[in-house]
Amino acid sequence: MNFGEIIFLLIIIVTMGGALMAILSGSIVYALMGLVTAMFGVAGLYIYLDSPFLAMMQILIYVGAVSVLIAFAVMLIGPLYRRPKEWTTAGKFGAALGVALVTLFMFVRFVTGTFPRGGNPFFDMTTKEIGRLFFDNLVLPFELISLLIVVAILGAIMLALFSRGNK
Amino acid sequence: MEQIVSMIGWKTAKTIAGLVGVLIFVVFNALILTWAERKVAGHMQRRIGPKEVGPYGLIQPIADALKLLGKEILTPRAVDRPLYFLAPILIFVPVLVSFIVIPFDASLQVKDINVGILVILAFSSLSVLSILMAGWGSNNKYALIGAIRSVAQNIAYEIPLLLALLPVIMMTNSFSLKAIVEAQKGLWFVFYQPLAFCIYFIASVAETNRTPFDLPEAESELVAGYHTEYSGMRFALFFLAEYTNIFIVSAIAVTFFLGGYQGPFLPGIIWFLLKSYLLVFVIMWLRWTFPRVRFDQLLNISWKALIPLAFINLLLTGGLLKL
Repeated sequence: MNFGEIIFLLIIIVTMGGALMAILSGSIVYALMGLVTAMFGVAGLYIYLDSPFLAMMQILIYVGAVSVLIAFAVMLIGPLYRRPKEWTTAGKFGAALGVALVTLFMFVRFVTGTFPRGGNPFFDMTTKEIGRLFFDNLVLPFELISLLIVVAILGAIMLALFSRGNK
Repeated sequence: MEQIVSMIGWKTAKTIAGLVGVLIFVVFNALILTWAERKVAGHMQRRIGPKEVGPYGLIQPIADALKLLGKEILTPRAVDRPLYFLAPILIFVPVLVSFIVIPFDASLQVKDINVGILVILAFSSLSVLSILMAGWGSNNKYALIGAIRSVAQNIAYEIPLLLALLPVIMMTNSFSLKAIVEAQKGLWFVFYQPLAFCIYFIASVAETNRTPFDLPEAESELVAGYHTEYSGMRFALFFLAEYTNIFIVSAIAVTFFLGGYQGPFLPGIIWFLLKSYLLVFVIMWLRWTFPRVRFDQLLNISWKALIPLAFINLLLTGGLLKL
């Protein structure tokens, strides 16, 4: 086992540990910390795949924005000291089975498909090429995502206005 | 020595040496800044500031550090232990990572990463999380209120901060800090982007939790905010991180808008430190001349003034570049 593989294993352990912590911990704050750890692990995987831009975006968006927003929402809603309602064991197993099936499907799909592996020049991408891809080949998905974001923003504004009107 | 270098490779050895240098610089910078803050505060209030320990009180910060080291480290009984212990350590990660990519001189940089500025911005979000952990883990109402305020403030001010840096990135077509400095050989970007510089500077003062935006640690309302329950060296780590963050935001401002290490006659590193500490002085100056803003004012400044202005500036820059 060489140095790179040890680091890869470490990243995997951190990611899985974070994910487990997010699911299993009783306190919502610890669950959030687990989520952050898992996100960091995923960013580490991106770095391992030679795409530092994606890794930094992962940290910037998921650690910097999304989890901070979740933290903010948790603190606004409260009650902070009450433990959330536990799922039943059957519910937990059902959810685990569902996630496992989806993961297996994606794994099989990618392994059997022509998925570009590490070391492939496809991964040596600069931000310039990523931007060009977005506005060239992938312009439709890109626009669809922006439409989704617009809908989300409009929904948030509507929610805020309605809750203010009710008071 | 040579055996070690040949074993781990020249590049890794250089990075490790750079990291050690960064650690030394962080401590040295905090010592200078605590001294400078007390001197600046003193002179602005028609006092002299520290003067007894060493010439001009220069050894005062070392005396302070020794005092903090000698203090008993108290751990309140009801704290959430893992989070409480982890927070002061975690707040130091972004500080160390940021220094890796900052170019102090043309060749004095630990590592030139092609997404350099993203590294700093991505990891700086960790400091919010550690403030949150400190506030939550302390199990103290003042600490928790401070942490919540800090999160709200950071959400509001990270957006104008990023938007103010984007025009410069668009002008240079690069995320690498070194490339950005090299692009300012002729005219500094502050002359092309005065508005972006102002927005960045205001947002960065808010990001470092300094007065007039020091609501997370407002001592007149919240005792000390999120680090109320920390004592001794744990408190010192928060303090060290805060002072290093002040230097980092000033260094980014210098790199992006004020030409980085470029300058006539003197060597690059002197120019870089001179410009950075000038901005640090301005931040201290703000602290001792402005009162603290109210919370609604704080959020209104960001959402109603800085973000729209930054967007207009970004659109104008993009339009002008393509015309």
